[in-house]
Amino acid sequence: MNTLATALLVEHRKLRRSLALLLAASVPLLIAVFLFFNLLRGHQARPWQQDMQMGAAIWAFFMLPMGVTALTVLVAQVEHVPRSWDHLRALPVPRWHFFLAKAAWVLGIVALMSAGVLAGSAAALYLAGRIEPAVAPQGPLDMGYCVLLYGRMYLSAFLLVAVQLWLALRYASFVPALAAGIGGTFFAVVASSAKVGVVLPWQVPINLLASDPLRARIALLWGCLGGVAALALMLVHLAHREVR
Amino acid sequence: MSFAIETQSLCRRFGDRLVVDQISLHVPRRAIYGFLGRNGAGKTTTLKILLGLLRADHGRALVDGIDVAVERRAAARRVGALLEAHGFYVNLSGEANLDLTRRLLGCPATEVARVLALVELGAHARRRVADYSLGMRQRLGLARALLGAPPVLVLDEPTNGLDPEGMADMRRFLRELPERTGVTVLLSSHLLGEIEHVATHVGILSQGRLVMEGGLAELKAGLTAEIRVQADDPARAAKVARAHGFTIDAADDGLTVRLAPGEDPREGSAALNRALCAAGVAVHALHPELPSLERLYRAVSQSPAAVEATP
Repeated sequence: MNTLATALLVEHRKLRRSLALLLAASVPLLIAVFLFFNLLRGHQARPWQQDMQMGAAIWAFFMLPMGVTALTVLVAQVEHVPRSWDHLRALPVPRWHFFLAKAAWVLGIVALMSAGVLAGSAAALYLAGRIEPAVAPQGPLDMGYCVLLYGRMYLSAFLLVAVQLWLALRYASFVPALAAGIGGTFFAVVASSAKVGVVLPWQVPINLLASDPLRARIALLWGCLGGVAALALMLVHLAHREVR
Repeated sequence: MSFAIETQSLCRRFGDRLVVDQISLHVPRRAIYGFLGRNGAGKTTTLKILLGLLRADHGRALVDGIDVAVERRAAARRVGALLEAHGFYVNLSGEANLDLTRRLLGCPATEVARVLALVELGAHARRRVADYSLGMRQRLGLARALLGAPPVLVLDEPTNGLDPEGMADMRRFLRELPERTGVTVLLSSHLLGEIEHVATHVGILSQGRLVMEGGLAELKAGLTAEIRVQADDPARAAKVARAHGFTIDAADDGLTVRLAPGEDPREGSAALNRALCAAGVAVHALHPELPSLERLYRAVSQSPAAVEATP
């Protein structure tokens, strides 16, 4: 456990000088900027929940899969670019600790991004409403519901994180992971209502907004439990894999 | 006798190609063992098996008596490595890079300063690795390999890409290392001169097989010295030399006179010169050639049969 804690700390030190935090901050900022101007150009006020769901939809639909794709590629390229795997794998440390540390940091940053999107959306809508009271969101803001929704989306994104991180760590080139992320997001956008979408990693989070409660529950369970299983498989595979 | 590094009939195949073929290495403690072979001979694959990065198809690899395949982490604690790909985070300083590895090894914080001083890199410790020259990166790699004072160092082509001055510095550093730190060094290279300058023992790899192994001095003592002769009449010079009991090899540019094993080439040259001059042969040049690693290498490369001396 001590070496796992050290691996987490070491991972933090490597990422500190990378642009991971900038990436993590840019996603909520972009969504907040969009919601702010979108509200200002509107003609009538809508309930808070409806405006907040727009932010959640943009996040789950596009920015979450693309953000996870970019983040996992960045975290993996920290080792691929300087070809540091041989050095790390030759150390007297359980190899799976390195991969678990990376997964933990990616999940932590995605959690921060989720919180950032939620807080940024609320702040942008509030500010826009102050500038243009005619379109200010109406009624009470049910923050408990929003936190629960973003929390569920986050849990359902475990499968997406596992798949993207696995690809990014497995291949030294960033192309396979990037192609999978872009392709998955593309199909999530163009075939958003496809039945099979509930099991596709890139499409699972958006299904938390489905009107059918069963579909939302399946997406949550599959995304979360499937993600944990995929992460465990990733650790076993990468730790035992030979790198020539 | 226990060895710092030992392999027993090590084999490794990639697809149809047998890259490592029944290699049995014996690296004595505190030796500088030069692991020689052409590019693609199987040196790096053998080193990767020793470091637990690749699995052997057959045979055993032992570091300080520990089987790498059975107890990888225990074996890894006994060995520091400098690999061809350094794997430094170039946006971090040299010191920060060492500190990451130091933490993973669980060494005290003072280790970083100690190894930086050993490789004489303390003055540049706070600079980003991106600003380091190749020679400085090699020294930083050595410093990282020395973290935790492992009893065994595995260095894969440590002089690759260095300028002549950097190579000389590295040779000096490696020569002094066993005495300063008590470490055993396994050093792979395809540069014969580099190995000859630093190694106490050599192992020569050819097409995946270990074709020669032993103490460098003993192996060289088994070779005969040669004298290259250039004269106005090579045929007559050869006749005179033979008449005085020398063994002759004809060469395109003159003669090569082979001395008896252990015979002093200086005395041999003087005797040969006297005989040729007395016979009226005009001698243009006499080049005594001492037994060298290059000749050893040529000999085993031409004849794949293994030559082995007791380490």
